[in-house]
Amino acid sequence: MTADMKRPAATAWLQSSPAVLLVTAIAIIPSLILLFQAFRTPDGAAFTAEHFEGLASSRLAAQAFWRTLRVAAWTTVLTILGGYPLAILISRARERVAGLMLAVIIFPLMVSVVVRAFGWVVILGPSGLVNRLLVASGLVAEPLKLMHNEFGIIVGETQLLLPYMVLSLLAVLQKVDPYLEEAAKSLGANPIVTFFRVTRPITLPGLLSGVLLVFSLAMTAFATPQILGGARSPLLTTLLYRYVFSTYDWAAAAAVAVLLAAIAIAFVTVQRLLARVWLKANG
Amino acid sequence: MLWPLGHLLLVVVGACWQIFMLAPLVIVVIVSFTSASYLLFPPPGYSLRWYAAVMELSWFWRSLGVSLIVAMVSTAIAVVLGTLAARALTRGRFIGHSVLEYVVLSPLLLPGVVLGFALFNVLVLMGLENAGLPNLIVAHTLITLPFVVRSVWSAMAGSDATLEEAAYSLGATPFQTFRHVVLPSAMPGILAGTILAFTYSFNDVTISIFLTSGEVTTLPVELMADLEYSANAAPAAISSLMIALMLFMFLLVIRIGGLKAFLDR
Repeated sequence: MTADMKRPAATAWLQSSPAVLLVTAIAIIPSLILLFQAFRTPDGAAFTAEHFEGLASSRLAAQAFWRTLRVAAWTTVLTILGGYPLAILISRARERVAGLMLAVIIFPLMVSVVVRAFGWVVILGPSGLVNRLLVASGLVAEPLKLMHNEFGIIVGETQLLLPYMVLSLLAVLQKVDPYLEEAAKSLGANPIVTFFRVTRPITLPGLLSGVLLVFSLAMTAFATPQILGGARSPLLTTLLYRYVFSTYDWAAAAAVAVLLAAIAIAFVTVQRLLARVWLKANG
Repeated sequence: MLWPLGHLLLVVVGACWQIFMLAPLVIVVIVSFTSASYLLFPPPGYSLRWYAAVMELSWFWRSLGVSLIVAMVSTAIAVVLGTLAARALTRGRFIGHSVLEYVVLSPLLLPGVVLGFALFNVLVLMGLENAGLPNLIVAHTLITLPFVVRSVWSAMAGSDATLEEAAYSLGATPFQTFRHVVLPSAMPGILAGTILAFTYSFNDVTISIFLTSGEVTTLPVELMADLEYSANAAPAAISSLMIALMLFMFLLVIRIGGLKAFLDR
């Protein structure tokens, strides 16, 4: 046979070496350098945790951290509320209709975050669509502040991340045996009971993986909070940007970066573990 | 029976969420045709004045050019490297298979701001932060690589291994087998992955914003800066043009690989 078949590992690594080299040089090494610098004193002489202590005691950073958690939590809840109806409808629809619904949900993923956030600026701004409707109908006297605050970020991130939740749920829903729901109905269960006792438990793995994905993406999003958050509502990501380009506090920026990376890696690790546990439990 | 009513409610709720998904895009496109000199919805009148204004903007053409070049070059490099890596990954289990998998897909793991800052930091350490185009191209190759690998891997994994074995037994070299058996059947997946990688690079702002310098900026980065300063509808016109481009790409991917192309994990 050919040498190729005799030493699969060697050829495999040879073929993938340019890609591996690229990723190592451009992603892994710079990240490690940043990790290193986050623990270094400014004069470069010793290792220290002072940058992290500085973050912990900074009111701005602490507020940014909790705000990031809140925004991510609300966004996740909203994507669940939107994800289930959409995923259920798509999984039950005829192929054409399902395809169309799916296209509507997936196409926005191909549009830049800047454009999507700008769309919300036009809708939520002081003279935007929503406020003009509210003022014109007399429901409020003055425009509501729907933007440049947490509300605006949550709305923007929900639209950004809803597709991921829908796809996660859809992946499991498509495996649900429709006869199970039929059986439940024939035994007298109404649709709501069927949903809670039959559908939802089966979709739990999809829900969990969707939650982990959306939550972690919401915590690490940058452009949406930058455009819709304004200067008074920084999240961890926009805070990092500010440290790098406004206050030139690169040590603090490095500390925030390490924190964000740790959070992201933690989420992926949990997701991988859960996936493995689930596989083992279900054969 | 409550059943039909419940179903109707579900449909209405679903429709509301779908409107929610499309609302920002539709509204931006509508506003781009406004005749007013500032952002107002609904527009008082319609005209193409903002598209004409955008055509005159030198920064628009400059950053568009940069975005297109960066996207094309980095996607091309990513396709070559990624296809090789995906080929390696389809060889079944070998020593270090999962390590390879993690390494190649790892750029997806780190938050964009972390990668962007890490790269910027290293560039400053090397004094290269103003190099402009090469910085962008290298970074974009990095972030598009995982997309290519995933799509190509999926496409290749679907191809029939017995066909390859048949080719070998008939005396074909690995290269010939790759070119005449594996590649043709994986081509739709590779093409779809290429287009997705291109759009991801074109649309990126999070990493690009750390790597732009002076005259060399990408369109999304310039757009974001423009949003904060101008209250007119020029950003809306630019956004609509971008949406149109992406719609074209979207339809192209569906034509080539169907909606499945987006669902590859």
